[in-house]
Amino acid sequence: MRGEAYRGLRDDQLVELVAQRDADALEALYERYGRPAYSLARRILTEETLAQDVVQEVFLSLWRDAHRFDAGRGTVATYLLSMTHHRAVDVVRREEKLRRWRTSDEGLELEADPKVGVEDEVEASERRAEVQAALGELPAAQREALLLAYFGGYTQREVAALVGVPLGTVKTRMAAGIRKLKASLRDAGHEEQPWTRQ
Amino acid sequence: MDTPMSHSEYEELAAGYVLGALEPDDEHVFQRHLDGCPICEANVRELEAVVGELAYAAPPADPPDTVWAGIRREIRSEAIRPDAIPQAPAPAQAPAPAPPRARRGGPVQRLLPRLAAAAAILLLVGLSVWNVNLRDQNATYRDRVAALQEATRLANDPTASLVALNAEGPTGARAAVIVSSREDRGVLLIENLPPLQRNRVYELWGIPAGADPATAAEKALVFVPLRRQGTQTLEFEVPIQPGTQFAITEEPGPGGSEKPTSQPLLAGAPSTA
Repeated sequence: MRGEAYRGLRDDQLVELVAQRDADALEALYERYGRPAYSLARRILTEETLAQDVVQEVFLSLWRDAHRFDAGRGTVATYLLSMTHHRAVDVVRREEKLRRWRTSDEGLELEADPKVGVEDEVEASERRAEVQAALGELPAAQREALLLAYFGGYTQREVAALVGVPLGTVKTRMAAGIRKLKASLRDAGHEEQPWTRQ
Repeated sequence: MDTPMSHSEYEELAAGYVLGALEPDDEHVFQRHLDGCPICEANVRELEAVVGELAYAAPPADPPDTVWAGIRREIRSEAIRPDAIPQAPAPAQAPAPAPPRARRGGPVQRLLPRLAAAAAILLLVGLSVWNVNLRDQNATYRDRVAALQEATRLANDPTASLVALNAEGPTGARAAVIVSSREDRGVLLIENLPPLQRNRVYELWGIPAGADPATAAEKALVFVPLRRQGTQTLEFEVPIQPGTQFAITEEPGPGGSEKPTSQPLLAGAPSTA
């Protein structure tokens, strides 16, 4: 990309430039987060073109609304990935046939699809390993509840039906699971850290 | 049912909230609580960051080059150095542009020159404000000026039409869209929309004539109203056919919905001459 100079900038500085209609700054953010956003959208949606549409919508939305980004409310990474998640889940709920997981066991799969054939970059690979490890430390029932909701787009009531437990149990499992995940990721030093590649 | 909840129950709902997994009734209850509870608001911010990390557990997949190419094509005309951004080739899945269609003349058409004059005046005012605020790098004003420029351009386009959106209740809100079916784009002008609660947005929809909005509405724009008084102008793109109607609904933020989930606050169809 032309914007080599942008590589040293923090994410929030890039967002300020995007608000001033600087396309190179948007490209720099896309270089940082296009891949994790697309990976997330691909995992939630089975159709590549829908995942591509979601990622385009997310970055175009940032382009239009960058001036509304409030750094006090969270990092740029959280903002972009949560918007990606929100939009992908909207699509998967609308298109019931897209849902990847019909059983809870399948919902736990997070292994790379060999057809995708992407080499993990070192930093992304380490980060992925840390999140996977934090998930691995959770009791299986809590992990299952979190993954079905996050990657499957299932509501708490739907998770309860899939797993065969009362709704209240699912609520408790999700709350406990996310608390433990927070503690594990804090230990790993990744929570709330802007992820900037140099 | 409005049973009082303990605070620990709200804390429990926070997990489902940040995962986007709450049932609509729970989400409503939690959202109402969240608006007045700094403890839960801080908790939600922390948990949103945790949930953001979950994204990295997804198997890695590289987006094809067409994804950025599509973004670049969309933003090219608005970028500060558009000449520095090469025109990207159209991706294979891009829909063909709609062929030019003649618009009938009529009351709406006759309004356009007046609207163009009004837009030009607004543009001058906008530019003055823009100059005053240049040092502040106020992106909001620049967006507004860009939208007004677009409104002026569309108002002079013989294929463009003006659609007034009427309020569906005693809101005092007023809105109109200037749309070009040739370009499948338009500008929304809006006044006095009620302020929104946290995490709610307004969404503009294009609805093909005679179609069911619940299934056929196309997302045109997601926005929040300005706090200050005055006309808000926003650009949008959506497929526009003869007779396409427009409506604004309130939806969950930040990204809005893929289809309308509430009754419209404002709606309007092109007048037939």
